[in-house]
Amino acid sequence: MAVKRRKNDLNILEKLYIPEIAKGMALTLKNMFRPRVTMQYPEVKFDPPASYRGRPVLVEEPETGERCVACGLCSRVCPALAIEVQAAETDREKERYPEKFEINMIRCIFCGFCEEVCPEEAIVMSKDYELVYTNRQDAIYGKDKLLVPVEELQDRLDYLRNFK
Amino acid sequence: MPKLTINGREIDFKQGQTVIEAAKDNGIEIPHYCWHPSLSVSGNCRVCLVELEKMPKLVIACSTLAAEGMVVHTQSEKTLQARNAVMEFLLINHPLDCPICDEAGECKLQEYAFDHGYGESRFDEMKNRKEKRVALGPRIMFDGDRCISCSRCIRFSDEIAKATQLTFVQRGDRVTIKTFPGEEFDNPYTLNTVDICPVGALTSRDFRFKARVWDMSETKTICPGCSRGCNIEMWVRNNEILRLTPRENLEVNEYWMCDWGRLNTFKFVNARNRIDGALIRENEVITKVSVEEGISKTAQAIQKYKASQIAFLGSAFATCEDNFSLAKFAKESFSANNIDFIRYVDETNQDDILIKPDKTPNTLGAKSTGIKPGNSGLNIHEIFSEIKKGNIKALFVMEDNPAAISDDYKNALKKLELLIVLSVNENETTELADIVLPAAAYAEKNGTFINFEGRLQRIRPAVVTQNMERSLDGMSMSRLDKFGTKYDSWASGHRVDAQPSWKLISMLSQKLGGKINYQTAEDVFDDLVKSNKEFSGLDYDIIGEKGTQLDSFIKVKETV
Amino acid sequence: MTLLEITIITMIRIAIIISVLLLTVSYLVYFERKISAWTQNRIGPNRVGWRGALQPFADVGKLLLKEDIIPSASNKSIHTLAPFITLVIAFSTYAVIPIGPNVTLFGYDIPLAVADVNIGILYVLALTSLGVYGITLAGWSSGSKYSLIGGIRSSAQMISYEVSMGFSIAGVVLVAGSLSPITIVESQYGWMWNAVLQPIGFITFAISAFAETNRLPFDLPEAEPELVGGYHTEYSSMKFASFFLAEYANMIIASALIVTLYLGGWQVPYIDKLGLGETLTVLIQIGSFFVKMGAVLFFFIWVRWSIPRFRYDQLMSLGWKVMFPLSLFNVVWVAVLIMLFNI
Repeated sequence: MAVKRRKNDLNILEKLYIPEIAKGMALTLKNMFRPRVTMQYPEVKFDPPASYRGRPVLVEEPETGERCVACGLCSRVCPALAIEVQAAETDREKERYPEKFEINMIRCIFCGFCEEVCPEEAIVMSKDYELVYTNRQDAIYGKDKLLVPVEELQDRLDYLRNFK
Repeated sequence: MPKLTINGREIDFKQGQTVIEAAKDNGIEIPHYCWHPSLSVSGNCRVCLVELEKMPKLVIACSTLAAEGMVVHTQSEKTLQARNAVMEFLLINHPLDCPICDEAGECKLQEYAFDHGYGESRFDEMKNRKEKRVALGPRIMFDGDRCISCSRCIRFSDEIAKATQLTFVQRGDRVTIKTFPGEEFDNPYTLNTVDICPVGALTSRDFRFKARVWDMSETKTICPGCSRGCNIEMWVRNNEILRLTPRENLEVNEYWMCDWGRLNTFKFVNARNRIDGALIRENEVITKVSVEEGISKTAQAIQKYKASQIAFLGSAFATCEDNFSLAKFAKESFSANNIDFIRYVDETNQDDILIKPDKTPNTLGAKSTGIKPGNSGLNIHEIFSEIKKGNIKALFVMEDNPAAISDDYKNALKKLELLIVLSVNENETTELADIVLPAAAYAEKNGTFINFEGRLQRIRPAVVTQNMERSLDGMSMSRLDKFGTKYDSWASGHRVDAQPSWKLISMLSQKLGGKINYQTAEDVFDDLVKSNKEFSGLDYDIIGEKGTQLDSFIKVKETV
Repeated sequence: MTLLEITIITMIRIAIIISVLLLTVSYLVYFERKISAWTQNRIGPNRVGWRGALQPFADVGKLLLKEDIIPSASNKSIHTLAPFITLVIAFSTYAVIPIGPNVTLFGYDIPLAVADVNIGILYVLALTSLGVYGITLAGWSSGSKYSLIGGIRSSAQMISYEVSMGFSIAGVVLVAGSLSPITIVESQYGWMWNAVLQPIGFITFAISAFAETNRLPFDLPEAEPELVGGYHTEYSSMKFASFFLAEYANMIIASALIVTLYLGGWQVPYIDKLGLGETLTVLIQIGSFFVKMGAVLFFFIWVRWSIPRFRYDQLMSLGWKVMFPLSLFNVVWVAVLIMLFNI
């Protein structure tokens, strides 16, 4: 095992611990009198910024429907194996579309890899963080729950364009 | 042996080999698209360019004959630059639609672009567009955009399938592939072009968009479509077989398999009409019971028959292990001599390439494991005429469908007192049966087939039944199989309640107080090796992935 | 006093102490949560009752309703016994801690401790040593590696720190010339608190007290990142609650001991010079005891949310190479003091 050493040895005061401990305790004491940051959910709700990674959703275009071409990259990259995609053929110009697209929200860890890997900008992380289900079946979100109109996701899409 | 040097390593080669062949035999990979070991050399893709010392320009490794003392560099700077340039050139017009393309994951262009490409494009003009989604034939879809004009498919049709149906039309950057006017790309081997196509230009209409290749598990097994016994890979996702692809075995099928075998030998395994649990007919009412109960009912019903009243039908569709167990069971528990199996030979459907007239995978296997009439026993025709006469009252059928052969057979079966059928799917015979026991399909069990020239080859399970476990039974596992739980819809595909025929027979023998007690297919095979000289000295490991030629059939091989 | 009277008075004192202790323990948990929240700029429990004041009862109710799990690999009887050993020892230690001077009530002279034992300090040391059993047995009987390692760590840690704790107390005993807690408190009249006389002993004792109660930065027996829950990994429901309760009861005892031995117990400097009535003086004295104890408890919690956990080897080297010599030095220091000033 590699042994990591400090750059500088501790000086005598640091070796005594006591002054350092006192400094640390002064810091926590100071913090006791700082303003509180807690939000009183559910009375007050958090409005996340565009960089927030909430529930992953599929982008739905007004005319052509989902952008997704069912390439399966999100499913492949998903470290929790939460995504299942079944492709099928369609008459559209992009000849492939997801016949079935399911995300198991119990498995999802909100890492955003699916969004990062998507070649079509078809799956993005939304701001939705209120996820409740009472059984395993309800936690599997199908296309009905995943498709979200593109205008509601403009925030995130702009963010991705600018910062990714 | 003459020697040449590749990348500073001295290697042996055979006179007449090209550089690429010599390199391949020694485990050195030279990138290639148009070159294929069993096709003629075309030399048009230019990606196999290598540097030869004392040669002014780079040469293509696929058409340069290896010579004594030659010094080749496949990783020199000049070679890499040339390779990058070729890759860039090929990618100019190749669409970036890997997400849509079915080849993604097993695409040579994708792999080489990753290994040898620049990584970015300097081409900002519009890409050439060609025809997409062209149905070249009943089984093949063509995408002109993706084609890199390697001509493998054209050469395959001309040289291997012996059906000149495809050609290049136009020239320059407008070149594309078409069938000859009035022709369809419909020879019996078309789907092999999908396998050899280095990109996703040719896709199988049957498999199109069904699954990503990385989501499937692959199992090395044997095609049961005819007595050729082509070596295949079986691709399974969520316990469902999605496609079969040929596996290299130069002794049997080289790199190919026929379209019929590829498309028709797996769907019955996935089918909805599988026998799932035992079926029992009592007073014309059919009830479904557990396999154990089915076995005890069978034992009760069958034990009263004497050797002369009962007949056993083995099957050339079943493995050697199944047939051996049946023959042993018939002799041990009933001293029966009326044992035979049905032949399926279609002389009109054969060719000189792969397709054989014998449409069963294991005729020699059935014969040599004891499925033949014993002393003064009846053969298959006599069995059915004796059934009609009422002398034979009970029939035990394993993995076969005699009722579909002719009305004559069908009517005969109706006269039986007791008809027991071990079957994979519901069929004409199971409709008449008194007891149907669920047999596992060839994709769900271990076993061996003997092909038309006496080659013993192994089949392996790719699909699980209710009492199997992928991880425990040493089966091939995809990523989804490894990490899925019973709560994941993509890992909970239907499992049939079935058992291999040898297992059903072993259980039946136990119920009747017999000595047959096998736990694994390997137990059966070991017993077969002990009791049959033709198999002596063999075991599953010796048979291996590519099979082994049985000495006793060498004469058979020489005559065919 | 007759035997009956003594029995009744003792029973009443036990009842009062136990109920005060139980209530304090539950509210200590509440304050632990509140203070941790404050140091992290949070609010803390605020939903149950006014500002979350009923939170302790909700916690207890929840724990009571939990399933009681006994692992199949455990030694069932010992697994059940262990939390009660811990709890009983924790509570019985409290018997000798005086919370005020003797009072005269209804004609009886009553010491404000359950038992005025003349070897009280020895009793405390003995019982805290026994406390190791509860934890070690819990760890051993759970049939889990995590629990076992937690239990073993705990016993090693307690034995190591008991040494320096004992030597620190020796200094106090030298000054008071007695093992009775009441005498010790009385010996710290005015500003002659032991914390002033022997600051090194005070610090070594306080640090040992942290280690003895398994509080951060010395909570290695239950170090979550490596041991899941340590000795109580396999406990649930009320058995878990017993450990939880015992930990906080131990904390109260440790702080009461610190107050008694080093911070003058109930003593308020020069209160007798003010000429207040006797009842008022006693009440102020009792009050001062609780204020001091509250301050020490706050210190306990404050330290927990400020200082990270020691590594195990650091813990051991600190115990044997630093605390032990320091406490020995303290004994010498006190002896010299006594010799020079004849306190």
